[in-house]
Amino acid sequence: MARLLFWRLLRTALAVWALASGVFLLSHLEGSTAVELAQPALAELRATGGVTTPAARQALERATRHRLGLDVPLFYVGTHRPASATAGQWHWNGLANQYHRWLRDLLHGQLGASFRTGEGVGARLQQALLFTLPLTGTAATLAVLLALALAQYLAGRPRGHGLLRGALVGLQALPLFVIALGLLLLFANPETLAWFPSYGLEQATDAELDAGYQLPLYLWHMTLPVIALTLSALPELTLQLTAALEAELGTDYATTARAKGLAERAVIRHHALRNALLPSLAQLAELLPALVAGAVVVEVAFALPGMGRLLAEAAAARDFPVLVGGVLLVGAARLLALLITDFLSLWADPRIR
Amino acid sequence: MIALAVPHLFRTPSWAVAWLGFLMLVAAVAPVLPLPYPPHTLDLAHIAQAPLAPGQHWLGTDAQGRDVLSLLVFGTRTAVLLTLPAALLAAVIGALLGSAAGFWGNRARVDISYGVVAVGSVWWALRLPTPWLGGLAAALGLAGIATSGRRRRNVAFRLPLDALVTGAVTALDTVPRLVLVVALAAGAGSISPAGLLVLLTLTSWTTPARLVRAQMLRIRTLPFVEAAQAAGVPAWRVWLKHSIPHAINPLKTLFPLSLARLLGLESTLSFLGIGLPPEAASWGRLMVSYRQEPSAWWLFLFPTIMLIITILSLNSLTRPPK
Amino acid sequence: MALLLQGCTTKRPTERALKIRWAHDPENLDPLALANQTAIDALYLLNCSLLQADFTTNRFAPALAEALPSVRFLGDSLMQLQYTIRPEATWDTGRPVLATDVAFTLKLMFCPGLPTEAPSSQYRFIREILLDPRNPRRFTFVCTSQAVEYVQASGDFFVLPEAVLDPRGAMRRFTLAELQRRPATAAPNAVLQAVARRYTAATPGQTPARLPGCGPYQLVKWEKDRYLRFRRKPHWWADRVRPRPFTLQARPARLDYVIVPDAATASLALQRGDIDVFPQMPTREFTRLRQASTTRSNLNFYATASYDVVTVGFNTRHPALSDALTRQALAHCIDAAGILKGTELGQGQRTVGLVSPTDRLNYNDSLAPVPFDPAGAAALLRRAGWQRGAAAADGWQRNGAHGPQQLRLVMRYRADEQLFATIALQFQAAAASIGVPVSLQPTESGAFSMALRSGEFDMYVRALRGNPFMFNFTSFLHSQAIGAGNTLGYGSPRSDQLIEAIAAASTVQRRAQLLRQFQALMQQEMPLLPLFFLSNHIAAQKRLVDLHPTSLKPGFAAMAIGEAAAPSTSP
Repeated sequence: MARLLFWRLLRTALAVWALASGVFLLSHLEGSTAVELAQPALAELRATGGVTTPAARQALERATRHRLGLDVPLFYVGTHRPASATAGQWHWNGLANQYHRWLRDLLHGQLGASFRTGEGVGARLQQALLFTLPLTGTAATLAVLLALALAQYLAGRPRGHGLLRGALVGLQALPLFVIALGLLLLFANPETLAWFPSYGLEQATDAELDAGYQLPLYLWHMTLPVIALTLSALPELTLQLTAALEAELGTDYATTARAKGLAERAVIRHHALRNALLPSLAQLAELLPALVAGAVVVEVAFALPGMGRLLAEAAAARDFPVLVGGVLLVGAARLLALLITDFLSLWADPRIR
Repeated sequence: MIALAVPHLFRTPSWAVAWLGFLMLVAAVAPVLPLPYPPHTLDLAHIAQAPLAPGQHWLGTDAQGRDVLSLLVFGTRTAVLLTLPAALLAAVIGALLGSAAGFWGNRARVDISYGVVAVGSVWWALRLPTPWLGGLAAALGLAGIATSGRRRRNVAFRLPLDALVTGAVTALDTVPRLVLVVALAAGAGSISPAGLLVLLTLTSWTTPARLVRAQMLRIRTLPFVEAAQAAGVPAWRVWLKHSIPHAINPLKTLFPLSLARLLGLESTLSFLGIGLPPEAASWGRLMVSYRQEPSAWWLFLFPTIMLIITILSLNSLTRPPK
Repeated sequence: MALLLQGCTTKRPTERALKIRWAHDPENLDPLALANQTAIDALYLLNCSLLQADFTTNRFAPALAEALPSVRFLGDSLMQLQYTIRPEATWDTGRPVLATDVAFTLKLMFCPGLPTEAPSSQYRFIREILLDPRNPRRFTFVCTSQAVEYVQASGDFFVLPEAVLDPRGAMRRFTLAELQRRPATAAPNAVLQAVARRYTAATPGQTPARLPGCGPYQLVKWEKDRYLRFRRKPHWWADRVRPRPFTLQARPARLDYVIVPDAATASLALQRGDIDVFPQMPTREFTRLRQASTTRSNLNFYATASYDVVTVGFNTRHPALSDALTRQALAHCIDAAGILKGTELGQGQRTVGLVSPTDRLNYNDSLAPVPFDPAGAAALLRRAGWQRGAAAADGWQRNGAHGPQQLRLVMRYRADEQLFATIALQFQAAAASIGVPVSLQPTESGAFSMALRSGEFDMYVRALRGNPFMFNFTSFLHSQAIGAGNTLGYGSPRSDQLIEAIAAASTVQRRAQLLRQFQALMQQEMPLLPLFFLSNHIAAQKRLVDLHPTSLKPGFAAMAIGEAAAPSTSP
């Protein structure tokens, strides 16, 4: 058992390393875009004495490249070779390459500095995570609990509840931003109901208020975002679990249990649920990395700081250190999730080896 | 909203079939339908106009002055010709890979010549030193496969199928989808409809794969599978004929939902400013335009109704009859 | 419970902060890097420059300097600008702001190892700084051009404290010219390295408080992606300046910039009174709120003309687009008036060129904007030598110098801009009506910059940001800049001459004359088609007065805003 887990862990760790390397290499192939975006904006009309000649521009780009550490070859081997060799030939670049530097820093626990701000990536990710985890964590917990309850309720009466089913399917059809915007326009709008604040975590949480006020204020601000996220995750979880439960209830052992005189609800709870959970566990494992990756749509709509926005903005600005750091973090979360799923599958069905 | 009020109507599959047939028909005849306004012609005089207002736009116009009715009709075309195939393709790929990984685990034995072909081709494709060596190896491998014919007991190696599939799934799911899409879009400049199909399939086959794999792990241990194997049925037949039909059970619920999710993903791409060809009208993009014009409820209501009815129909078709 | 909590929030701290919406975080407040517009706005609160824009007159006015510089021409190419710093000006430590600080700042721009790419290219025209031995506050810039605009540009950088970064004055050993000429490959110098190290260690981009400027505000708190809080310094040196000029005003005791990325959310927050000022509001939302009765009574609405001009550019390297007639023909396919009316609700101004119509002196009002006229476009195409094929699908063809050419075009624009998409779709439809196939490529913004850079487009739509002070088109339209800032690949001897003459004009009248000629030439040559200048919309709470809405960025004077003498409605 321990050996099995060890191997799985090792394998996933290798996958995460390979993945981060892949993202690193692929993204840095686009290094010229990062350099371009770091230049003074081209759309700036009529600047005095701006860069005028191609030579000046190249000098500027060289300076930026050097500052960002993009002026050395990307990998140990490469096909690019200026002039001296024919194109398409592989050659050795030596240890002074971007990948080697990145890997070396990584082994020392450093994720590098952001291209845009020069700030340490580790600190920035930590900051974002502190806001993201409570938000997504609460939403995920709520969604899972609600899904468990709803699925048992729905499976108990397979023919009824067309309305509830329809509502769930309808909810699934709504993109998240529509849910978020709808909630805002309903519950944070002076023209309808102004129960909740319209944008997240404003200064109120940091104002000179005592701690007794801060927690309720925080909760008050988080209500709408959490509801939006829960609503968007709920239908798929519920419907999936319901279907699995219904399939289990059609099997022989469920019939046997019923024949023994057990109530339908007891059959579900004591017999079917455990087996039905198995495919759903895979879905739960999917949730954890998603928790870490944040929810960009909700974060944008409710003006919350968090991983989703951080990574989206980093991708748009080609801020590769932040991006690769984010991928590593999500990868680590997945590692954990796989471990948990394995444990849970073993608990749910000891036959799996 | 109509769909929610009369859900029992949609329980009977005939309704669902009729609706889906209607969608197919609309998609097929969209280019020749006598629409009052072509889908990509702007009516700059009537921007973001409500339904039934003067200007002959029955369902109103969007924030760019395009006719919502035309966009819905052509959005149906996109949904039928692009989103549906993408969802199907993703489900099929996911089911095949996931069930294979779950069935064989890491113990699949593969003839060595296939491995030689693979390594040789990669060598050749990457132009590693003396690429013709790779080509030669690949050719030799192919020859080996051809000559070995039905002869068994070749040199074989273990293909870690499960590790490969779960690794690919992990990798694809770990990169935030957004980053993946931005990278792909940046590489290609902008996305063509065919590129969109590939993108949607590539990012969505992982969920079915994971579900089917988990189900297969359980089915593999069931008595009838063991019985079939003991009876000497070849492994691939047991896999294809006996195991897959049970293993894909979770997909029946998933499929309609994944269709909704794909439409949502497509609208998220627009939300993030990734270049999709503007000629490809779609329900999801119509919904996104609601964001620029929060007072224009019609932009969001009509495509949502279409989407909900479609998903309810698919749902009722895929649900096992009681 | 919600109501109960609402009760709690109304207990605001005694000093009320002025809350202004920003769409995104400034990310980097480095006074040398000037990362983006929000960062520049924030830096104006923390720092002072010699000259600053006066929003009441839309001109540069003295801030740290006592007066505008006195100008003296040397020979026919050099210019001396003499400045004197205000005697009241001090750093927070009480140490006076001196000419040595200005000299140090200029030298820092050329110090290797710092993020100085932008300023080092922008201020290269200041060749030397001469300190006055009798007055430590007086100094003279020696500039390599006599152009009028350099007079103003010479004072538009933030002055940094020498005492913090170079306490022993080791940089004084170098002259400015030496540092400017220093090759990138030169051996590292211990003094420069030490300064760069000290600068980097202060991380002014993240913790501006460690490198305090002499501006009126301090950054008290910065929560990334949430808000920035600025507090007025209790004793700021300019409080002693009498009479107080506009550039040195700082009325709000607390300024909070809150970051709300989504416009719909920000609009709700404004209506609820959670934010006080919403600059750059989307046009349709602005108009809707201005007409709604509920918001009209609570909010003030300001609209000013901006200097952002929406343009359509042609890649003149493309063989089919290399002649002016074809470009003019295509320009006739864009319905600028209709788009302006439809999407911007008529707010904004059509233009004939890159000079704003509000600039009465320089705008060439004798020209007429290009009309929307597809039939005329077809006629122009025929004059350009194009022939329409017999079948409708054939399109237009002509025989060029390098064989037959087909007129089919790719138009690029940033995918996240609705307005550009509208323009592109309108153009596509109009071009199709005369048989020119256009395919649209909405492009993600980073990839868009790269596509422009590498010339992978036939036409583009984008907005160019301008200002009323500078009229230097060299980096943008001069043939010398092809391969650098000139993405259109355009250049002709005549336009090059005009651009150089404008950049070197030493009187305003002469420059206006040249600018009018330049606009006429550009309309004739049509390397790009300026469609219209956008309008800038600001909505603010009614109690706020003195916003001084302006065409300059950020559109209003945050530091001048005051509160109306408490109307009885406020709690």
